[in-house]
Amino acid sequence: MNTTSQHLKMTVYTALFVAFIAIGAFIAIPIGPVPIVLQNMFVLLAGIILGPVWGLACVAIYLLIGLAGMPVFSGGTSGIGRLFGPTGGYLLGYLPAVFVTGSISKGLGKKMSSDILAMLLGTLIVYGAGVPWLKVVTAMSFGKAITMGMVPFLPGDILKIIAAAVIARRLRPVIKL
Amino acid sequence: MAQLIPFTYRPGNSLLHRLDVRLKFFTICLISMSLLSAHLPACGGYALVLVFFFKTAGLNVWETLNSMKYFMLLLFFVFMARVLTVPGDILFVFHDISISEQGIMEGGLVAFKFFLVMVTGLIFSTTTKPSSVKSAVQWFLKPVPFVPEKRVAVMISLSLGFMPVILKQAREISNAQKARCADLQKNPIKRILRLVFPLLKKTFLSADSLVLAMESRCYTDDRTDPEFTPSGNERCFFAGTVVLCLSLVCF
Repeated sequence: MNTTSQHLKMTVYTALFVAFIAIGAFIAIPIGPVPIVLQNMFVLLAGIILGPVWGLACVAIYLLIGLAGMPVFSGGTSGIGRLFGPTGGYLLGYLPAVFVTGSISKGLGKKMSSDILAMLLGTLIVYGAGVPWLKVVTAMSFGKAITMGMVPFLPGDILKIIAAAVIARRLRPVIKL
Repeated sequence: MAQLIPFTYRPGNSLLHRLDVRLKFFTICLISMSLLSAHLPACGGYALVLVFFFKTAGLNVWETLNSMKYFMLLLFFVFMARVLTVPGDILFVFHDISISEQGIMEGGLVAFKFFLVMVTGLIFSTTTKPSSVKSAVQWFLKPVPFVPEKRVAVMISLSLGFMPVILKQAREISNAQKARCADLQKNPIKRILRLVFPLLKKTFLSADSLVLAMESRCYTDDRTDPEFTPSGNERCFFAGTVVLCLSLVCF
């Protein structure tokens, strides 16, 4: 495949992942009392499937269209207000998270174990950006911010990471990147 | 898509519908920044301005508030967090929790500001066509070095086109799984896999067909720039916005 073809393919795949991240907030799997929402799983998958650069472009475009007023953030919201709001840190944290996830996965040879490690670090980066932001906006203590903005979501995140690693292993032969 | 997301574009011919999208985008950024340093009287005044634009854009205030109920829950959480943590003159004590007058005031103001910024964004998204948003993003990215703005615009167009297709396929796969009693499956990882893998496989295969179609039509990044049609009210609107922002910052 020549370079133009490869670029075109990556352009379309990146747009596809932008759409998946946007609608990920609306695809919920009812497990237990709280349904699992798949948005952050698609962010991490974008990193390990598209690689660090295209994955970063994918998340940047997602944030850009949300910032520009398209209702793609969770709850069908959009705009600069969402980035300044309590959950803005999580959204901005997707940028370094997808880059690090993609870099580690690529650097360690795209094996299932390296994908899991990459996504674990990516998830920690999302919380690393989201929890301090939540603390600042809501003026709560750091301990409370961790208890409310991180701990309840960790079991679901672990399930999503395992599922994403399996999906990536099955998807790579299909899309032949 | 519109059934799922309440804040999609609604056609109309109001002042906001006709304004140049670049000005609208710039205005929103300016107002959002000004609101962050605004006090309560200025926020109240701006809320009245928003109600006026709601009416002129033909939007229903109560319907919109109802659609925002999950976001309101988040705002309540922000309010309560401030109420419980900001020290000041104690109003009442319940067990070990003391609630101060300053906490209620500060919490209410912060939540009100977030609400106003959010509603401003909603008015923008309900009065602006997705294709105009794409054009505006392309225009704003043009001076940014190392960013291929035309390719970004193509990706935005494609992703907006993919969204309803993916939602439809997700619904079809979910219904097919339910018809086969897959929702009785207790293993959460298997439940995620059974929905997401077929969805990804199906959409990536159709994306491959799209790549072929684009290649066969000699797609390149060298595309015609979008055209903008100003309504003629832009200067007045911009002057009004500057006055509004100064009022928000000063009062």
